[in-house]
Amino acid sequence: MRIRTLWLMLATLVASLALVATGCGGSDDGGDAAGTGSSSGSTEEQTGGEAADQTITINWGTEPPSLDPGLASDTTSANILLNIMDPLVKLDDDLKPVPSLAESWDISEDGKTVTFNLSTEGAWTNGDPVTAKDFEYSWKRTISPELAADYAYQFYGIAGAQDYNGCKANCAAMADKVGVKAVDDQTLEVTLTTPQPWFIQQVAHHSFLAVHEPTIKQFGAKWTEAANIVTNGPFKLETWQHNSKIDIVKSEEWRDAANVKLTRVNGRMISDGTTAVQAFEAGEVDVTGTLPPEEIPRLKETEDYQQYPGLGTYTYGFNVKSITDVNQRKAMSLAINRREIIDNIAQADQLPATGWTPEGMPGYDTINPASPWLPENGDLEQAKTLMEQVSSPKKDITLLLNDSPGHRDIAVAVQAAWKELGLNVTIKQQEWAQFLEFIGPPPDKSIDVYRYGWIGDYVDAINFLELWTCESGNNSTNYCDPEYDKLVEDARKTQDNDARYEIYAELEDKLLGEDGAVPMSPIYFYTYVQLERPSVQDTLNLNLLDQSDLTKVVVTEG
Amino acid sequence: MGTFIIRRIVWTIPVILLVIFMTFVLMRQIAGNPFRTSERNVPEEIQRNLERKFGLDKPWYIQYVTYVKNVATFDLGPSLVLRNRDVNDIVREHFPRSLELGGLAFLFAFVVGILVGALSGLRANSALDYGAMFLSNVGYALPSFLVATLFIYFFALEWDLGFPTSGWTTWQSKVLPVIALGLAPMAAFARLVRGTMLETLQQDYIRTAKAKGLRWRRVVGLHVLRNSLIPVITAAGPTLGFLITGSFVIEQIFAIPGIGRYYVTAVTARDYSVVMGLTVLLAIIVILANLFVDIMYGILDPRTRDARA
Amino acid sequence: MVVNPREAPTPAIAGDVALLPSGAAGAPLRQSNLWRDALRRYSRNRAAVLAGSVFVLLLLFVLIFPFVSPYDSDKIDFALKAQGPSLSHPFGTDNFGRDLMTRTAVGGRVSMGIGFGATLAILLIGVAYGSISGFVGGRLDNGMMRLLDTLYGLPYLPFAIIVTAIFGNVTFWTMVVALSIVSWFTTARIVRGQIITLKENDYVRAARAVGARWYRVLGRHLLPNTLGVLIIAIFLELPGVILGEAILSFIGLGISPPDASWGQMANDGRTAYRIAPHIIAVPSIAIATLILCANFVADGLRDALDPRTKET
Repeated sequence: MRIRTLWLMLATLVASLALVATGCGGSDDGGDAAGTGSSSGSTEEQTGGEAADQTITINWGTEPPSLDPGLASDTTSANILLNIMDPLVKLDDDLKPVPSLAESWDISEDGKTVTFNLSTEGAWTNGDPVTAKDFEYSWKRTISPELAADYAYQFYGIAGAQDYNGCKANCAAMADKVGVKAVDDQTLEVTLTTPQPWFIQQVAHHSFLAVHEPTIKQFGAKWTEAANIVTNGPFKLETWQHNSKIDIVKSEEWRDAANVKLTRVNGRMISDGTTAVQAFEAGEVDVTGTLPPEEIPRLKETEDYQQYPGLGTYTYGFNVKSITDVNQRKAMSLAINRREIIDNIAQADQLPATGWTPEGMPGYDTINPASPWLPENGDLEQAKTLMEQVSSPKKDITLLLNDSPGHRDIAVAVQAAWKELGLNVTIKQQEWAQFLEFIGPPPDKSIDVYRYGWIGDYVDAINFLELWTCESGNNSTNYCDPEYDKLVEDARKTQDNDARYEIYAELEDKLLGEDGAVPMSPIYFYTYVQLERPSVQDTLNLNLLDQSDLTKVVVTEG
Repeated sequence: MGTFIIRRIVWTIPVILLVIFMTFVLMRQIAGNPFRTSERNVPEEIQRNLERKFGLDKPWYIQYVTYVKNVATFDLGPSLVLRNRDVNDIVREHFPRSLELGGLAFLFAFVVGILVGALSGLRANSALDYGAMFLSNVGYALPSFLVATLFIYFFALEWDLGFPTSGWTTWQSKVLPVIALGLAPMAAFARLVRGTMLETLQQDYIRTAKAKGLRWRRVVGLHVLRNSLIPVITAAGPTLGFLITGSFVIEQIFAIPGIGRYYVTAVTARDYSVVMGLTVLLAIIVILANLFVDIMYGILDPRTRDARA
Repeated sequence: MVVNPREAPTPAIAGDVALLPSGAAGAPLRQSNLWRDALRRYSRNRAAVLAGSVFVLLLLFVLIFPFVSPYDSDKIDFALKAQGPSLSHPFGTDNFGRDLMTRTAVGGRVSMGIGFGATLAILLIGVAYGSISGFVGGRLDNGMMRLLDTLYGLPYLPFAIIVTAIFGNVTFWTMVVALSIVSWFTTARIVRGQIITLKENDYVRAARAVGARWYRVLGRHLLPNTLGVLIIAIFLELPGVILGEAILSFIGLGISPPDASWGQMANDGRTAYRIAPHIIAVPSIAIATLILCANFVADGLRDALDPRTKET
């Protein structure tokens, strides 16, 4: 073979690749080709009017581990489920419960019995009507030990639920004793263990959705595949290619379909933040989250950037058995410069924490302690003074966190701050599952400080404050105060909201008040940031629980 | 030759068993609860329910035996984390994509690598040689996540060439990931071919052939290239295996629903059945790929057959 | 196909290393001449010399610069965050305001340390395994090779993750162990192949016939003759290890802060590539330079140690 021939071969190869790439570029192929504006319906016309094509492409981020309401435990699944199913209750902008499938509800005098009155218009996609029996079946299924549902504990407030969930024998009898009953097709009666004023809001959670019994019996674990699934909400699951895309379309059979404008949502699953931003900028998606913090300062300048407060707190927990002197904990808390961390590392305009319960929680104004130990810009002076008062300080600190880059950066900043106090901080970075094993509870003895975050399941502060009781399965600080536990019990029994908020304020005080135990040092309250095309920005919003109600979305022109 | 092949195939069975055993032991060694996915702890009752459901409450040797029995019937079990999916489903849906990605990348590396290597070898020590080697090596030397990100930025975003930024659907979406993944092996093959070519060209019998007046084209084509292919084919086995199993970075960045992503995520999440199932599958493939290479080697170079058997 | 029987290609993966000529007695005197010849041949290869010099310069940089630099590699100053290259900061600053040149030097120590450490570990394990297997031969060899097949079957990345997870925390030594455990197979194969071929040589047979113990045969005759192959193998394994470390950083199993390695730094800088490209560019170029140098040095060594090529 001559050299020339080899050359020719190489050149042809390169040239043909180039030709093919450029020449055939721009061809539309199911919305995956590049080019701007190929998927949304916006065109350059007068602003404000509805676009003809009510289709958007959303980047869901990750693959939902499950779309079974009994098994789903992450926000992506929750978000999709709440749009393809019909909950009994929804939350409005102030997070108050509003009727959805349940037209109304009654709470008994003692607060222990809640009765939901269902609309007659609920219908499954195969034509069956939605009845209270569906809810009774679904809730008992989620509580059943056979399903081994993660969120079964959400139902423990219902009489008999915890026993049934933990039962090892004779479980069928236990199932009958669970306090959920379909009195008739439209009436669902729930009996609680104690009065729980937040129960109605809790029912808005996706684990309280109904599932279609015949479908489950027919398909078993595969019932959530797009070909098999039967839903009852404003949208239907049309396509689910695992780890690739989830498309949902408007359900014309839904009881309120007339008010739903969006006809179709194409869903991608791009988990890498950098690629997600690139996909948005190339016009391939209209909405995306998972923005890398480093890109946020640049993206903030664009018109697509949107920010929402979230119901979550990012905190560093102390192992009070290891850092025993409360003054040292207070000093360490004072030394952290929250503003610097937020502006330079987290970069999404999070709110500096001034207590444990995040802003946006009902009753926040009463509850929030405005803790003196959480100064926004850090207070190194006072911190140093306090440190001197500590008789035998723990100088060698092991800070445990999981291996995500954002967490690591914050730890580096905190490490530098604590160095100023004369503390020698070792950052122990672990892989996720190991990190979770280490924090237990009980936390591994080697840990002095650990990184933690808590996102609300439902919108009542008890969800946050009950974490720090002695027996809580989520308290890795070894903090245990019987008085704190007693207050939590009192709160559970108090039906009047305002009175309850007062108790919450007391609890916060015990944690982070002037004389608080400071078992942890919250750093900021979460925000959720997204890139959204101007054509959907007004109507597409995230609530405090990182969910978007797609029935409200309207694609506008321009 | 026949006995050689049969002997090797028979040996794969204990090898597979050993792979299962090692993976099983290693996975159990690392602490971690497959059922705890967030900071939120799993209540005791639920933890017990989950362990019972997936057979994790039994002693480890029973678990191992049950697993081996299942594998023998091709049942790789349900995923611990993705509650509605079986490992068999995952393999069936996602493995072909990784195979496609790895296969195309290999083809790219093979063809382009040999071309570039041959050209460089024939024009050794020229500017072309140094230039081609340098350029191809740069692709090999830069970390793959950087190359992938740059590819997406320039070819999909900035220069509007018709490539999408991510996904694995149209043929355009396949170009960038394939090249990004194939760059490193391409450079490796090019260097191998060039090196062997240089060696072979120096040898007496080539000079003899030239002196005898054989056409240069025939000389190069028959002898030189064929000899140069030997080390490439030797390297091909592990390379192919690596491409299929090691494509995680590319799959993650290009949002390709392949097996690599599932694999790494499963290890992190302690999804035992997925990790075990995929390990077994990939081990079989790598072993078969190596076997194929050895057979090829045996055909091409009979002297070494005994040494390798 | 006619292949000259004298030029037996090594039955090994790298394939591009020819046998060192084994003289009649394999005596040391001839070997030192060989090395001097090799050095002379090496220095005639311009690319290899250049690569070697850059390599040495890089080594000097990472060892010396942190002592000389006016900046502390760990000092955080957000006011200086993500600045591009300037007179006071020739490489710019990273997203914590730390001087990138100092960070690169410090990170280089870790990266090159891991690179050499893991490579040496790979060699040690590979030589031990390969020489035993090749030297003893027979059933043991067969069994060991089948075991090697098994280990080849374990996928690289997930097993590196598992090994890292067993240790819990990711430190310098954890990385070295994790990376070497999953990468020594090829070296073992090469060494085995080399030993097998060398074993058949007359002088080895003679030594054994005379009654020399196995460790003498191995240590005196076989291993020194594989030295050339091994030296080249070092420079061939190095890139793999360095890139492996970068990939582990991508997954999140990088070195714990505030220590850094080039792979970790490149990963950190990746998301900021639009506003501050230098943060990812600098460590990536460092990695690439190291790898390119290693490759060219390996090529140069191969050419230099093989007396038949390049006599033009």
